[in-house]
Amino acid sequence: MARKDKLTLAQKEQRTAYKLLLPALLILAAVAFYPLFQVFYTSLTDKVFASGTDEAPKFIGIENYKSLLGLTIQELPPIVDETTGDPLIDESTGMTMYERAIRVLPRSPVRYREWFQFSFFGRRYVVGARDPEFMKAIWNTLVFTVISVFLETILGLGVALVVNSNFKGKGIMRATMLVPWAVITVVSARIWEWMLQPTRAGLFNMVLSRLGLGDGGLSFLSMPTLQMPTLIAVDVWKTTPFMALLILAGLQLIPKELYEAGRVDGANRLRQFFAITMPLLKPTLAVALIFRTLDALRVFDVFQVLMGNRMYSMASYNYYQLIGNRNMGLASAVGVIIFFIIGIFAVLYMRLMGVDKE
Amino acid sequence: MKKVLLTLMVALFALVAVSETVITVAAGAVGQELELTKKAAERYMEIHPDVTVRVLDTPDMVQDRLGLYLQFLEARSPEIDVYQVDVIWPGDLAQHFVDLYEYNADKVVSMHFPAIVENNTVDGKLVAIPWFTDAGLLYYRTDLLEKYGLNPPTTWDELEEAAKIIQEGERKTNPDFWGFVWQGNAYEGLTCDALEWLASNDAGTIISPDKKITIANANAVEILEKVAGWVGTISPSGVLTFAEEDARAVWQTGNAAFMRNWPYAYSLSKGEDSAVAGKFNVSPLPAGKSGNGAATLGGWQLSVSKYSKNPEIAADFALFMAGYEMQKMRAVEGSFNPTIEALYADYEVLEANPFFGSLYYVFTNAVARPSTATAPRYNEVSTLFFKAVHSVLSGTADAQNALEELALDLEDLTGFEVVWGF
Repeated sequence: MARKDKLTLAQKEQRTAYKLLLPALLILAAVAFYPLFQVFYTSLTDKVFASGTDEAPKFIGIENYKSLLGLTIQELPPIVDETTGDPLIDESTGMTMYERAIRVLPRSPVRYREWFQFSFFGRRYVVGARDPEFMKAIWNTLVFTVISVFLETILGLGVALVVNSNFKGKGIMRATMLVPWAVITVVSARIWEWMLQPTRAGLFNMVLSRLGLGDGGLSFLSMPTLQMPTLIAVDVWKTTPFMALLILAGLQLIPKELYEAGRVDGANRLRQFFAITMPLLKPTLAVALIFRTLDALRVFDVFQVLMGNRMYSMASYNYYQLIGNRNMGLASAVGVIIFFIIGIFAVLYMRLMGVDKE
Repeated sequence: MKKVLLTLMVALFALVAVSETVITVAAGAVGQELELTKKAAERYMEIHPDVTVRVLDTPDMVQDRLGLYLQFLEARSPEIDVYQVDVIWPGDLAQHFVDLYEYNADKVVSMHFPAIVENNTVDGKLVAIPWFTDAGLLYYRTDLLEKYGLNPPTTWDELEEAAKIIQEGERKTNPDFWGFVWQGNAYEGLTCDALEWLASNDAGTIISPDKKITIANANAVEILEKVAGWVGTISPSGVLTFAEEDARAVWQTGNAAFMRNWPYAYSLSKGEDSAVAGKFNVSPLPAGKSGNGAATLGGWQLSVSKYSKNPEIAADFALFMAGYEMQKMRAVEGSFNPTIEALYADYEVLEANPFFGSLYYVFTNAVARPSTATAPRYNEVSTLFFKAVHSVLSGTADAQNALEELALDLEDLTGFEVVWGF
């Protein structure tokens, strides 16, 4: 009898829990699941943005995904001298000359465009993509994410350790540290654009030419070798404070007694850092890294303001397909792919950092 | 008594508030554009005290502005009543605008250039009223040409030569001096500049009016390779990030010998704060192989949104803005080319802009971008084109590969036939 009563009590509690969760689930369904489903559905159609008509878009299956992700590898045959039968050698570089990729890549039933070429065991290959610009956008975003998050973590840790120590004006220091983070990205990107101007009217060209570097006309935003480092620098400037803030919160959770005990045991500062600070900071670092990585993978504003149509991130490529080309179906597919890439990163982090076990 | 008066006043205010109509116009802000649009709006409000006109500032870069418009249009927003529309958009956006013939445009349309009216007519509907027209011009420094004993260049070769000589000479005293500035960013402006290079070199207009893809030809390769050679020599390497206003900034501070730009830069260049005031003139753009220079047809129209709550008033405002009086004001104060033929014979207009008379043929013979043949996908065509050109200019692709790839891309997009000219 008593046993039965206990069960109903547990059941009752469970029911109450579900009832209490219901509003949250409903809100989540309305603001997250419904739009997500909508995007996923649109990605299977050929919907046109701002078409001005009420015609329903056609359902085209996974055609959008195929045209975004299709890849092929083809071997490039060397160009052969017709009289001797030997491969031609470029006289200026001393390299074997190969057929142009555009001649080798298939054109029907669907066309592949050149993404990049590589050599392997003395043979030359070309990787063709149905949409090399999207492939480049993914690559750019990954490079951007890995390098900028790495630098932000290192610098953020340094900044956090400094402002965590006791010194005069600590409060002011912590407040000013946050200024770059507080400025709206579009605004700060515009400010950077002015500083990065390709003439001596821009701060960087001015300073560099005073130092005897460059000719005062370095074009940070259009030279292929300078574009990515510039973008990463802007992002590191902006987001290091955020990283520092999160890490600072983690540092303050570490009890002072542990350091005292460490000192008593004769551990020096370095030993203390690796034996006390780092292990106890790990959960905080994991959260900070996840936050930043997922955020960096969605990067839009810095790319859009500083690069426009010259270089894309995944999100700015999405914008270009949606607004520039009005391909709402294709843009939705891009959105879904971004969602999955971010999902993969999230799961990887959870596994590697062991966050889910705590 | 006091109470009665107060009640009366409140009632009166309420009445005014109710009867007052608000019209919002989305307008450009390049150079003096915004200022002059606001001035015209004030003039309209003086005549129609029951209407309030709000002027919305929009992005300078054409692509960005289109993006903003599309977001309003996709939402069918009544927030914007009148749109400032580029000459290449009527075909792409026609379904969002009212037919101005239904709002008395038939009475005024005959005084505008017929070619532009035709451009703005889609399926017999006038979706936009011409506001100002544009054509690319070569700005040159008269004082520097004289100093180095040179004539205004008539071919690209001459321009290259003159730019080199002047740049070399001026660099001795001014390390920031450049020979030639233009619009090289990856945006619609590059399509305009590149179309001028192509057309002047007998390389066609990307897609011909009879819907053939003509971009893959040897003349196009030749001229693009030539222009790629300018980047970092007579033009700053940063020119690949320049839009109109960036080029004007270099030119107007006296740091360039030549500039390619639209007529709006004329009145600004002769302004009080300009370092080149009284030291410059304009000419048609230089010629390539074809023997003739070419200027891309630009210009802006006014359209009334289908989703406007007050289409009658919005249309009346658009027609007022594009009317004789306002176009004259804009021509005199801002050197915006009128679309009304009679204004090119107006004494005050010609006094402010002598080149309106001497270069009249440039404006009437300007080369149109292939927006009619490719509507409603012109923006995509143009984007593929300027990206291909930009990749050649920045050295990430060679001209022949880029144009061949472009021709195939355009074939995929439009379904038109490619005419191979290698």
